[in-house]
Amino acid sequence: MSSKHDEKFSSIPAIQNGFREASYITSRQTATTVFLAYHLEKPILVEGPAGVGKTELAKTIATYLDLPLIRLQCYEGLDESKALYEWKYGKQLLYTQLLRDKLDHLVNKEDSFSQSIDKLHQYDDIFFSWHFLEPRPLLKALQQKDGTVLLIDEVDKSDDEFEAFLLEVLSDYQVSIPEIGTIHSVTKPFVVLTSNNTRELSEALKRRCLHLYIPFPDPALERDIIRIRVPDISKNLTLQLVTFIQEVRKLDIKKVPSISETIDWARVLLILHADNLHPDLVRETLHIFVKFEEDIRIVEEHLHHLTTQAVRASGG
Amino acid sequence: MDRVLEDFISTLRGSGVRISVSESLDAAHAVRLVGYEERRLLKDSLAAALAKSAPEKEIFSDCFDRFFSFDFFPENQQDMPRREAAEGMSSLSRMLLEGDQAGLITTMREAARTENLNAIQFYTQKSLYVMRILDRMGLNGLDRDIRELFLSGSPSSSATAARLEEARDYVYDNVRAYVEDQYRLFSGSEADKMLETYLRNTKLSNLEQRYYQQMQHIIQRLVKQLNDLHSRRKKPSRRGQLDFKQTLRDNIAYQGFLFDPKWKKIKIEKPNVVAICDISRSVSRLVRFLLLFLYGLNKEIIHIRSFIFCSNLTEVTHVFDTYPVNEAVARIQAGTDLPILLARTDYDRSFRDFKEQYMDAVTHKTTVLILGDARNNYNDPQTRILKMISERCKKLIWLNPETKPFWGTGDSEMKRYTPYCHVLKECNTLNHLERVVQSLLKK
Repeated sequence: MSSKHDEKFSSIPAIQNGFREASYITSRQTATTVFLAYHLEKPILVEGPAGVGKTELAKTIATYLDLPLIRLQCYEGLDESKALYEWKYGKQLLYTQLLRDKLDHLVNKEDSFSQSIDKLHQYDDIFFSWHFLEPRPLLKALQQKDGTVLLIDEVDKSDDEFEAFLLEVLSDYQVSIPEIGTIHSVTKPFVVLTSNNTRELSEALKRRCLHLYIPFPDPALERDIIRIRVPDISKNLTLQLVTFIQEVRKLDIKKVPSISETIDWARVLLILHADNLHPDLVRETLHIFVKFEEDIRIVEEHLHHLTTQAVRASGG
Repeated sequence: MDRVLEDFISTLRGSGVRISVSESLDAAHAVRLVGYEERRLLKDSLAAALAKSAPEKEIFSDCFDRFFSFDFFPENQQDMPRREAAEGMSSLSRMLLEGDQAGLITTMREAARTENLNAIQFYTQKSLYVMRILDRMGLNGLDRDIRELFLSGSPSSSATAARLEEARDYVYDNVRAYVEDQYRLFSGSEADKMLETYLRNTKLSNLEQRYYQQMQHIIQRLVKQLNDLHSRRKKPSRRGQLDFKQTLRDNIAYQGFLFDPKWKKIKIEKPNVVAICDISRSVSRLVRFLLLFLYGLNKEIIHIRSFIFCSNLTEVTHVFDTYPVNEAVARIQAGTDLPILLARTDYDRSFRDFKEQYMDAVTHKTTVLILGDARNNYNDPQTRILKMISERCKKLIWLNPETKPFWGTGDSEMKRYTPYCHVLKECNTLNHLERVVQSLLKK
């Protein structure tokens, strides 16, 4: 990260405002962590329930900095060749075939075996050079001249080995390729890792990152988010639906509605031209933010009560 | 790194947040960036650098609020007229008379620092520290001032003296509150450690009910360690050397060309355990903790079938499949919905039950774990059946909660069972239990 972004990261309110312009409402805690991550040149590890905008945070940072976003989606079985680099095996093979004549030419029939080997040794590294290297997200991120935002998404889904392998990248911003050597970053990328906490990440990984826990937002923040994301919705309805969602989160259900689902619901209500919540409307649109049969039943039980509560909260 | 941050980090460590050196360096950098001025900002920054999981964030928040609290020496004396401090008074008296809140706090903190208040460990030390800090702050000077003012006899000076007397109590209260607060902050780790050592070495039969919660925490932690340690063990079986015999056999189909190489695998069998537990009153507590331990272990690393007996024997594996561990253990101990007679312990009937119904659970790969005091109420000991089990299984481990001198006394049949046990151990503390479980998991 070069100093040209220093102005953008001069203070925490500056970050908050900048993010707001990119349609992302942050809590102070989030902005502080981003501020520190920039100045300490540390990766951020973002944890929190699904759908609170962890991935979105990385995208917003990229927009804010006007840098490309390089994304590495983690999954079980992800390994170096998919994350870091791969030799273009096909190209290597093709070239050896095409250059067969050349090779024959190089190695004279009269040459002894050892002479031929010696001759070939003069060219040995050609097939293992940059031309035959396919950079994958991590390497790509290190090569960007102007810096980049590197998002390593759902790192908890990857294996322990991959996590260990990430350590080198995260602490020193370098990777080692046996045939070429150690590659240092041109400009240090801004790294964001996200985790859904399906498993405990290793101490070593956590130690190298700043940690940010994004919980479900409080009502005021959630209203702000809705207003920014769905600008056309009325203030009254926002208040009602946020109150409703916040109450649903308190119920004992399998999967609580996330912010993205709140946004979806707000959009649907807007399309339906609703200006007030009423039980029938909620029942018809329930499946947008409740995704399990059991959950739907539980919410339906409380539906009437919750709707009146939400409507009353808005003074309607 | 400055002293305040250092103290704060050691406080956090004491409260159970793991903080490495590199993280404390990060915190120091962060503090240099944001400064101490804005409380909220400081808290957010330190949280990002130091607390790395949701539970840690909570601990952090609590510690932060207590550590950086400044609400001492509230100005409750405003209703009293401020008096001019006379020449020659001690600085403490002066500050009190002038209502210098900031001065008082600074003096108190300084005094606490020189007296190393952060080394406080036990609640019995509290009054000692209070006295030392008061001494450091200049309580003697204050007392002398009061005495002299009384002796001088003029109405105004005795009023000042009375005022100082009151202020003396005020200082005392505040220092005590401060020490109390710091005690809670700093002592946590040591006291907890002592309690844990105590709990781990106490006989489980003597354990008081109120420690159960803590015991469970300790067990959970131990179990997690064991799980972490052993869950990685499937990895080495992935690579290996060429298995020549297997390769030859499999490649006969290709006219003997070694077309499809086979690799040697390090096969690691997960331990197969049959736990047979006496749940009569004399042993029941131990059973509780053993089961908590065993079923806390990951299903990936150990395979368990469990049986309980008292007057007869029955299988309880299914209880653990239906209910969460804690509830299952409670159900088993109460015998809820289980065909078990909780009368006198009867090894005769129980062993016969096992032989008739469940002998097939024991194979040459099974480790049999029997937990009981072998007090058979003078029934037939059925050593024949135990011998049979012993010959069938890989290993027979008997855990006896009684201490060795009592084995074989009265109705104890331990001496007769001894020849058939591969391992025989006295087992009545958490430490014993842990060792047993560890040895089960070892290859």
